[in-house]
Amino acid sequence: MSIETLIAAVLTLAIFSFLYKENPFYRAAEHLLVGVSVGYYLVILVEETIWSKVARPLAYDQNWIVIIPAVLGLMMFLRLSRNRAYLTRIPLALLIGAGAGVSIPAMLWARVLKQMSASMLPLYTVSGMIVLVGVITTIIYFYFSREQEGWFGYLAKTGTYFLMVFFGATFGYTVMSRVTLLIGRMEFLLTDFLGVVG
Amino acid sequence: MDLSRLDRRIIFLIIAVVVIVPMLFDITPEVQITKDTQQIFDAIDSLNAGDYIMVSFDFEAASFPEMRPLASVILNHAFEKDLKIVGLALFSEGTAIGYTLLEQIARNYNKTYGLDYVYLGFRPQYVSAILGMGESVIKVFPEDYLKQPLEIYTDFLGLDNYEDLPLLVSIADGSLPIHWADYANARYGQEVAVACAAVMVTAFKPYFESGQLIGPAAGVKGAAEYEKLLGYEGAAHRRLFTQSVVHLAIILLVIAANISAYVWRKK
Repeated sequence: MSIETLIAAVLTLAIFSFLYKENPFYRAAEHLLVGVSVGYYLVILVEETIWSKVARPLAYDQNWIVIIPAVLGLMMFLRLSRNRAYLTRIPLALLIGAGAGVSIPAMLWARVLKQMSASMLPLYTVSGMIVLVGVITTIIYFYFSREQEGWFGYLAKTGTYFLMVFFGATFGYTVMSRVTLLIGRMEFLLTDFLGVVG
Repeated sequence: MDLSRLDRRIIFLIIAVVVIVPMLFDITPEVQITKDTQQIFDAIDSLNAGDYIMVSFDFEAASFPEMRPLASVILNHAFEKDLKIVGLALFSEGTAIGYTLLEQIARNYNKTYGLDYVYLGFRPQYVSAILGMGESVIKVFPEDYLKQPLEIYTDFLGLDNYEDLPLLVSIADGSLPIHWADYANARYGQEVAVACAAVMVTAFKPYFESGQLIGPAAGVKGAAEYEKLLGYEGAAHRRLFTQSVVHLAIILLVIAANISAYVWRKK
């Protein structure tokens, strides 16, 4: 058995021990996970952002234009200074403005117009009728400017049934996903660590 | 007996037994191919040898047991079809995982790095990376994961932007396929296929129904279906029996707990 397998198995068991009750082995493994993750992210981000997008273009390509975004990025840290915090509004304004400019047309198209068009199915099909009733009653459920009573209340109530179907399906898929992760770890313990399963 | 007062550790123990015991038996259940998995299979199968396919490893280490079988079937299929694979990662944790998987599977097919596949690595800020590749892939990734300039891979110089890319596959455990749909599909008309964690299926469903995304092959079930389409029984098939037994146990526990709650409330 390799040292990597041994370390992975010990840490897996330490994390699983939480299922019995909280203990120092679990906490040690948890802290190790947080520390290693932060270290990994930091190295990747320094390498892929600070080095490749700022330091190297300046040092090797004399690409002075990157000074502007670099300075704007550094200005974000002025949030830490009580007197100069207002200056962070400049990069933030740029970020929000550019972000909104890029996102709004794309999202309006992808998340609103395309979805609306996909929900307009021929009404002579069963699925078309179900989609129509589901969309309208669910939207009515989220319409809070009117008391949900009478015929309006019935429609809103119908909407909740569609929502419950959605939550049920989501829960089922979630169980499926999480069980797979458990099976993966168990498979590792039984196969690579203990060698019980071939 | 009031099951709501049952020590949760007993439930954990039941689940542990239900997971371990089926693994001791070599049983592979019959798999039915669903329309969703067939769609993503057909999308890749319809490509011609030499076509580019971009595979984005949009997942983290925590979901590796679920994502690995999915990534394996997609890469196996792409290599079998002699497609030119361009790998990348938009989650930093997926970077090393994606490269390792690509290397492992490429070895099985005697494929050469730089000739049959390249790995671009990771770029932060996925929105700008997705949008940037619509203009120029080489501008977003001037170097590959191995820190070599992309220009040296002459077999990949034909890939300028999404116009040269018939298909992009996002192998994801989170919401990144939605961003591929928002920016690559909506803005550039890029075909995006998805192999995803089962937990994300309901979030993506409207995008599949509207034709903005292709697929999905979802979770270990989707991977098992894909294995069947490729004609072999691999890791996903082996896990499916255990998965089915655990699902059955969870259903029984839910029913038992509901009956118990109903009876005790009446008392």
